[in-house]
Amino acid sequence: MPMATAAGHRCYELWDPMPDEVREGARRFAAVQALNELVGVLQYVEWLDRAPSHTRRQMLMAKIQDEVGHGHVVARVAEDLGMPRERILLDYLEGRTKIHNIFHYSFATWEEVGPGLLLTNSAAITQFQSLAKGVYLPYARALRKVEREESFHYQHALDLTHEILTHGDAEQRRRVQEGFELWLPRILAYLGPPDTDTLHTNRMWQVGLKPDGNDEVRQAWLNKIIPVVRKLGLHVDPALVRQAPSGEWEFEMPDWAQVKKVIANGGPSSQRRLDWVRRALDRNAPYRRALQGVA
Amino acid sequence: MPHIPTDSDVYEVFAQSGHGTALNHVGSIVSPRPDAAWHLAKETYGRRDDLVKLWVVRRTDMIVSSADDRGLLAAKTRMPYRQPGFPTARRRDRSASPPAVAAPREGRDSGLTERRDDAREPGLTDLWLALADDLFVLGNRLGEHIVDYIDLEEALAVGSIGQEALAHAGTILVLCGFDQPAADARFFDRAQAQWQVSRVVERLTDWPSLVAGGLVIAAAVAVLAEQTAEAAQTAGAEQTAGAEPGAAWLPAITAIRDEQLVHLDHWRRWARALAAWPETRTEFARAYAEVTERAGDMFGARPQSPAQGVPAGAAPAGPALAVTLHERLAALVGENGGPGSRLPDGPGTRTWGVGGSALADSLSRGRTVRDEYAPGVFS
Repeated sequence: MPMATAAGHRCYELWDPMPDEVREGARRFAAVQALNELVGVLQYVEWLDRAPSHTRRQMLMAKIQDEVGHGHVVARVAEDLGMPRERILLDYLEGRTKIHNIFHYSFATWEEVGPGLLLTNSAAITQFQSLAKGVYLPYARALRKVEREESFHYQHALDLTHEILTHGDAEQRRRVQEGFELWLPRILAYLGPPDTDTLHTNRMWQVGLKPDGNDEVRQAWLNKIIPVVRKLGLHVDPALVRQAPSGEWEFEMPDWAQVKKVIANGGPSSQRRLDWVRRALDRNAPYRRALQGVA
Repeated sequence: MPHIPTDSDVYEVFAQSGHGTALNHVGSIVSPRPDAAWHLAKETYGRRDDLVKLWVVRRTDMIVSSADDRGLLAAKTRMPYRQPGFPTARRRDRSASPPAVAAPREGRDSGLTERRDDAREPGLTDLWLALADDLFVLGNRLGEHIVDYIDLEEALAVGSIGQEALAHAGTILVLCGFDQPAADARFFDRAQAQWQVSRVVERLTDWPSLVAGGLVIAAAVAVLAEQTAEAAQTAGAEQTAGAEPGAAWLPAITAIRDEQLVHLDHWRRWARALAAWPETRTEFARAYAEVTERAGDMFGARPQSPAQGVPAGAAPAGPALAVTLHERLAALVGENGGPGSRLPDGPGTRTWGVGGSALADSLSRGRTVRDEYAPGVFS
């Protein structure tokens, strides 16, 4: 039996009668994730044709395809709940929805890609593991498929980072370290504002779609990733993140006003992302219609 | 090939026995009437467990795989690099072996610009090496189109076709005797003047021309694979040593052919759609004409000098072979159902250094990271 039932919630399948709040919440969760998968992948796409070996290019292309695949499975969940897939990108272009803070940035160097991927993938896995305990079962199943593929992305990111740290020169290794320090605070922010005191008033927690609070997920992530990062040979500056004697992780609190500004398309690559999506949708509209029209 | 079964009174039954689990196929029933099928299924498969779901679908409404689709379905075998264990094993193997003593980067910087051997006739390996170049460029272009938002399912298909094109390019080099560093040097470090891509490559720009180019390249690879398989079978084992394709090539070449035939079908469906739809008809006709009129050089590779594992003394392919291959290509391309092909009547030859800005950009982007690192860092 799924944990959501154990937590005292009823679970729902697509055609089950369910409270409007669950249906709308699940639709929103799935649509938000679909958007973030589909637009978030662009920061990796920008590096695909610079991936420096045949095998690396294959792995990166597989990862990019997987991310679009994740966008697809959760978009299908949202579609079944009444959100047409076309609207997912349109809502973004027309300002009704926003992408996560981390996707408003680009990687400036190849050395930044490895730690950026590693932190992003591991945080996403932790978050999906939590959301997969939710009460809307088609979404939970979609997340389990996603998690399985994310474990390849995670291993790929480790490999990419390790390659430079082991075989690169001092300057290149320094840039990996800088990349880690640049992305760590962004991912801490990505996991959301502190909510331990308010979680029980969050309707999504109450109905069972958000099984864990942001703080819980963030701690679980740090527990997992910091030892990995250390083992890779990166330095974890206590000013950024440190473990209290209680075992709890402490970190410099993100500037939430600044994070909010970034999310409101105020980040360095926000416009670039919007432009890419707009141009692609415009350019390809006739081909999309041909595909549908002739089918 | 996947097929649609014919027994119209058979229904396949799927049941879910616990929350959160997936539906499982539990068996089938025969029901003369559709409206009775679900109840009959319940009496057959729902007598013991508390089922959460019971789904029944008429067999003739399904598209099911056939036994010969097994190879295409073997994703782990076909794409090992996307398993979590792949990067892990790679890292382990690399730290276990002493650091590679990197060969100096050949090509561009080393003055090794001449690897031409126009004196002899091209062999099958020469034709394969040239097609590997085309596949490598095509694979990269398709990779960019995974996020072109044409359609989500389409994006995933394009991603697989692109990865398979890259994989086939790599496999061809392995068959020709290249190891991984040599293959990377060939794809990443050669100057454009040392590439012998088809002139189709310079036209791989927008989506309609990628459809046309994908179609033509898939057809050419399938044709050459068929020819190679025939040659390998008739040649027998004694001619395989280091020279032209022999029996050792067969499994890989057969797999490449099967996958490229799937790609060909995919591009044909697109070609038909773009040719039939009023909004895209003219644009596609132009792209298709421009791509096919450049495609006469598919089997027109010039011999490459016997460096880098290209076997010496390869049996000549000869003009007669090029004509045969070209005819087979014309037959495959002609069946696409789209507008007129402008494939030339006879085969043409390839030229060193073509590919235009499409290849130039791809090569220079591919070097940006690689050039900043010491040789041998990336594998």
